[in-house]
Amino acid sequence: MAALGTAIDSLTAAMKCNIIPNQEYLLQGSVLDQYVEVLLHRLRGLCDNVDSGPETFNDHELCYSLRANNVNTPMALPLRVRRALDVSDAPFQLRYVGQQELGDKNRPTVVRSCIDMACSSTIIEFLSELGCRLDFEYIARGYMFRKGRMKVTVSKIFKMNGIANKPGEGVEAISQSYLVELSVQAPSGQDAIAEDMRVFAEQLRPLVQLEKIDYKRLGNMM
Amino acid sequence: MGVTILTQFPVENKTGPQIIELLSKRISALGAVPQGQFLVDCETYSSVPALGHQRTVHVLHNSEQPATVFALLETGTKTIPLATDGLFDLLMMKMSSFYQSKKQTKAESKGPRFEIGDFCVKLGSVTVSSNFKGVLVEVEYKPCVVPAMCWDLIMEFMQGFLGSLGPTTPPSFLQNRMQDIYSPIDTIQQYLEHFTLFRKSPGPALIMRPQ
Amino acid sequence: MERDIEQLNSALNSVKILRSNVRCVFESVSNGLRADHGEESKESKYILELQELLTIVNNNLRDVENSVGNLTPPPGAFSLGNTTYLSQETTQERQQLYGQLVNSYKWTDKIREYSALAGNMLAANSFNKTYKTYSTTKRRKTQTSNHNVPPEIIENLITSIDRLFTDVTITAKRPFVPNPLIQVALGRVLRAVIAFKGLMIEWVVVKALSEDNDLWTESRYKVFRKVTENCHAAMCHFHSPMMPELAVRSFMHWFHSYITLFSAPCKRCSKHLQSNLPPTWRDLRSLEPYHEECK
Repeated sequence: MAALGTAIDSLTAAMKCNIIPNQEYLLQGSVLDQYVEVLLHRLRGLCDNVDSGPETFNDHELCYSLRANNVNTPMALPLRVRRALDVSDAPFQLRYVGQQELGDKNRPTVVRSCIDMACSSTIIEFLSELGCRLDFEYIARGYMFRKGRMKVTVSKIFKMNGIANKPGEGVEAISQSYLVELSVQAPSGQDAIAEDMRVFAEQLRPLVQLEKIDYKRLGNMM
Repeated sequence: MGVTILTQFPVENKTGPQIIELLSKRISALGAVPQGQFLVDCETYSSVPALGHQRTVHVLHNSEQPATVFALLETGTKTIPLATDGLFDLLMMKMSSFYQSKKQTKAESKGPRFEIGDFCVKLGSVTVSSNFKGVLVEVEYKPCVVPAMCWDLIMEFMQGFLGSLGPTTPPSFLQNRMQDIYSPIDTIQQYLEHFTLFRKSPGPALIMRPQ
Repeated sequence: MERDIEQLNSALNSVKILRSNVRCVFESVSNGLRADHGEESKESKYILELQELLTIVNNNLRDVENSVGNLTPPPGAFSLGNTTYLSQETTQERQQLYGQLVNSYKWTDKIREYSALAGNMLAANSFNKTYKTYSTTKRRKTQTSNHNVPPEIIENLITSIDRLFTDVTITAKRPFVPNPLIQVALGRVLRAVIAFKGLMIEWVVVKALSEDNDLWTESRYKVFRKVTENCHAAMCHFHSPMMPELAVRSFMHWFHSYITLFSAPCKRCSKHLQSNLPPTWRDLRSLEPYHEECK
């Protein structure tokens, strides 16, 4: 009988074979409220889940960061928790999103490292006791489409009005537009998918412009 | 997943393989069928000083739930359990500048696994950083999910093959959770309780019982 | 009659063989020359093959003619009574009626046959082991059917059982209105799926709370499989065609005693385990727990 390997062994093996989807290819854009119907209509035609229609979601996202108090070497580890408000027995999702690389002009999408995992509802208490600080939280409601490995979400972002216990009540939309995201999670080195995404984004061009967004530059503008 | 009771079997001048052999013979004589091997391991990380007061994260894996990673966070005042999936190990690597793995404390319990009726019995020899420390016997009664309902029954079963060395009181971790629905993380908490004791103990000849 | 049908069958069979061999001929013709005919004298080989096939067809045709010759022609037109007019129906939605009529005729015929068999068997082996005895007058009084009752009555029965025990939760599903399927969760011990046929309990499956509630697969755990078995025995024991409501009620009373399945030791040997199972039997009258071997 073969001896059991440890979980770490199998994880290392998986990492060696490069089958862990730890990279996210991302394009973002936005569309005004009054045109969202047209976009949804277009997506319904383009995407895979034609007959079942788009999947809706209503998620609460909490963004934490783990920071150490060193003055010399400031370190921060961003962590996000997402939970479905409409499906009560769904697991919570914990997500690490790393620094994004814009790359040069020729690279069609933003690439950032990410680790996604499902977890139990104790994650919120776990993170706060771990030393994480809650930076901000919001509610995202919208529609999800699939096209092959690509995921398209069209979501409206809402502010939490300080009522953390009852998310979903007393929320206020952050803007008069919807956030449109096109993303794929893949093992590192699969850059061909980025090209597919560019082509797909091209097809939505008249309605929404999906681009590589540089957050650092956005930060400087404000 | 049913109620699981973990107990330590005293070593008394025998080697680990001898005890496992002895218990395997006893349980097979009762009609148990060997069903592979099992492995529970535990790695402990502690927070760096820059993060404020000392906290400890124990990351455990159980071959019975191979796609799950269990993490237990000890803050000093309370323990927070978390069940998550295999990529959590990857996240712990990312956290290496905040939580550092304590070397020399990697504990594991490993050995044969038996099935007998609705019971599942696991005989694990425990090592802490590759040093043999003792033997843990795990008995799971799969159909029942409330410890209070089947404690007497499991106790009777354990005394059946451990004799007077079987447990007579529920594990301390379960004592105030007897009426709750049992879940896999409760097994993990019992393992952690024993691993912590083993880490503190100097050698394998340990007679002290956790209850 | 029997012989006629036999002959008809053999005739149909030979027609089938004929058709299949004719197909072979056409297949061969449509394929033409093939690689396996080789290089030399392939044409003559092919013609030979075709000839062989045609001979077979010829033989088959002869068989068909023979078997048709053996058939006795029916003595005149079949009298279908009023149903003949159905086949002349012109409206679209009623054209299906004839087929349905034939099917339901077949069904009733089968039911008659099976019920006659079942009736004979039941008369020979009485399975009712109840302590009750019926007087003949009583028997005549209750002639109401208990498998064909209005849904409200069953509904009332289920809600009354639900109210009877506080630790029993019942969820009911009705794929067929008169025959409800209920799930009975007994505390945090087990769950049973009970199928009713009118007021009678038709089927019981006992499972763990975590298992799915499919009626047809048995539990993965030995203890619940044993309890299922015992429930079937009790279901037959409590069954009483005269007082169906009482039967269901007494069954549920008995079933409720499984709330102590894991916690109560056997009444006779005062142990929890016997061949690695808890006491899976409950006495039908005293409701006391016993091991299978101790009862």
